[in-house]
Amino acid sequence: MPFNVSLHLLVLIPVTVGAFGYFLPQKLYKCMLFATNVAMVMTAISLFITVRWGEDVVQLLAGWPHGIAIKLVADQYSTPMVLLTAVFFFGTFIFSTRAGYMDRVFLFLFMMLQSTIFGLFLSGDVFNIYVLLELGMLTVGILIMYKRDKQSVYDGMLYLMMNFIGMAFMLLGIGYLYRITGVLDIVALHERLGMLKDPQSAVVPYAMIITAVSLKAALLPLFGWLPRAHGAPSAPAIVSAVLSGIQVKVGVYLLVRLHWMFEPILDAAPFFAVLGFLTSVVGFLLAVAQKDIKLILAYHTISQVGLIVMGLNLGTEIAFWGGMYHIINHALFKGLLFLSAGIIIEEYGTRYYSEIRGVFRRMPIVGIAALAGVLGITGAPFFNGSISKYFIQRGIEGNLGELGLYLINFGTILSFVKYSTILFGRPSVETPPERDPFAAGVALIFGLACLAGGIFGGPAVALFYGPEYAVSGAFGLEKIVTFLLTLALGVVVYVGVVKRIGDFLADVRQFKFTFNQVTVFLTAFFVILLTYGYLTV
Amino acid sequence: MAFLEQLSISDLTVALFFLGLYGAMSQRNIIKTIMSIGIMDIAAITFIMLSNYQPGARPPIAGVPGAQMADPVPQALMITAIVIGVSVIAMCLAMFMRVAYRYGTADWNILIRRLDK
Repeated sequence: MPFNVSLHLLVLIPVTVGAFGYFLPQKLYKCMLFATNVAMVMTAISLFITVRWGEDVVQLLAGWPHGIAIKLVADQYSTPMVLLTAVFFFGTFIFSTRAGYMDRVFLFLFMMLQSTIFGLFLSGDVFNIYVLLELGMLTVGILIMYKRDKQSVYDGMLYLMMNFIGMAFMLLGIGYLYRITGVLDIVALHERLGMLKDPQSAVVPYAMIITAVSLKAALLPLFGWLPRAHGAPSAPAIVSAVLSGIQVKVGVYLLVRLHWMFEPILDAAPFFAVLGFLTSVVGFLLAVAQKDIKLILAYHTISQVGLIVMGLNLGTEIAFWGGMYHIINHALFKGLLFLSAGIIIEEYGTRYYSEIRGVFRRMPIVGIAALAGVLGITGAPFFNGSISKYFIQRGIEGNLGELGLYLINFGTILSFVKYSTILFGRPSVETPPERDPFAAGVALIFGLACLAGGIFGGPAVALFYGPEYAVSGAFGLEKIVTFLLTLALGVVVYVGVVKRIGDFLADVRQFKFTFNQVTVFLTAFFVILLTYGYLTV
Repeated sequence: MAFLEQLSISDLTVALFFLGLYGAMSQRNIIKTIMSIGIMDIAAITFIMLSNYQPGARPPIAGVPGAQMADPVPQALMITAIVIGVSVIAMCLAMFMRVAYRYGTADWNILIRRLDK
């Protein structure tokens, strides 16, 4: 069955409807956006079916030949991401049906972000990617300071300026690439880079472009903007969920895409595997130090992105698909955790974990959903995180790196032992006020998806990506025992160590890098990547 | 001085880019850092504009024979990049105005200290 919908519509419809509906009455506008979201999900599903059991959909703009035209590509890697984005945006849209911040400007920006993300996943052209990244950056910059909180303008400004420097790097890198190859299309670049007489000339553009993309993916020295943006007190819950669930994955996805493009020149997989591991460790160490529940989640996103990047770059196929599956899983449980954190913060009126107690008793449904998210992210058996982590572990088996994975998982459990303290205990007040059924319902559905993604983990990977692997090992007694032991160790370390070094953690928490220092990190990363490139090519 | 004579304008734009980066790394004044990143952006744009430069080529407007035409791709792309650059800089400046009204400083280091209060 040929897919006869233009892929450009997938990118253009959300933003167009968002722009035109803006002048209509708010109720009608919301209905239109609801219809658009439904249409997007249907289109994404049919696109997924076409690509998964048929062939790739490649569409060229304005009838120019391959290599010259602006191209949209729906293939094995991009369609699951498009489907995930469509479903995720639909879910968050339903979640916030009754939320107070859903005014017109917000809805318009939200639809624009959706368009941008679709475009980024489908683009087959580096300049297109550049433009969409800039557009996404501007939209996110406004969205994270939407509620105009105390620090928000500073967070937004830092986010915007850091990312703009990254984008300037990318623009110069694209310029170099165009100069040495004469094309901008990713596939054509892949071919022409292989024919270069002097491969070293491509190292500078490589370092520039990958520095920019690593900034987007928040790898080790470049993650300073992420917690500020994702955990910004002024950002509504759904913005945090979308940023952490989908938007940061764009960086990871582009890392995969662009590394494939530079494959004929150099293979930086070992470098990025190590970098991913380090990012992950630093991420959870910082997450444990936080007090604000949104910041715990935001710092933890860094750790999980590190794990994904590590999995993708281990060099074995099973770890690669484990990493890809972890992208979907992380979107589900981190989205769920941010959404439920949003409900909890609204209910309790505070963001500090020490002041929130007894979520289970006060809000049973939200509590259960949040617990499902926690179990998913810690890789508890039968939840989706365990499957992808198991795949990544299988890819590195018998290696020293396997210990690293245990360390990362221990860190995850440690940070979520801290997070979970809000679920238990006795709430200070027993007032069951009116609840928003949409919000709790969506949270619960996300929680069920986490469970389903674990129980049907093997078939899910086969369904989304194709390769079939046995997952029986992930349900084995050994895994359950390992998880329980790690959990026990996590609780012991939390009670015995983390709670006693409060002063030290406060210092870590309050330590901030200035803009100049962050720029120095960016430059250092670029120089390291450049050196690595020259040494290996 | 043979080294200097071999430098082309593109090399100068790369130098300008890193000059802007140096500004972003070293200046504590927020306005100056915004200017620095503006310089980086403009340098990158100029660099791309100069790629495939042929002396004597004519602007890519309808009616010019293909052989005499300058490469139209960089020009078409850079219009987009310039627009993006202008809007991002404008937004940075607008945000800076809010920060300056609220915290009364244009210095990154002082700003960070005043944030917690």
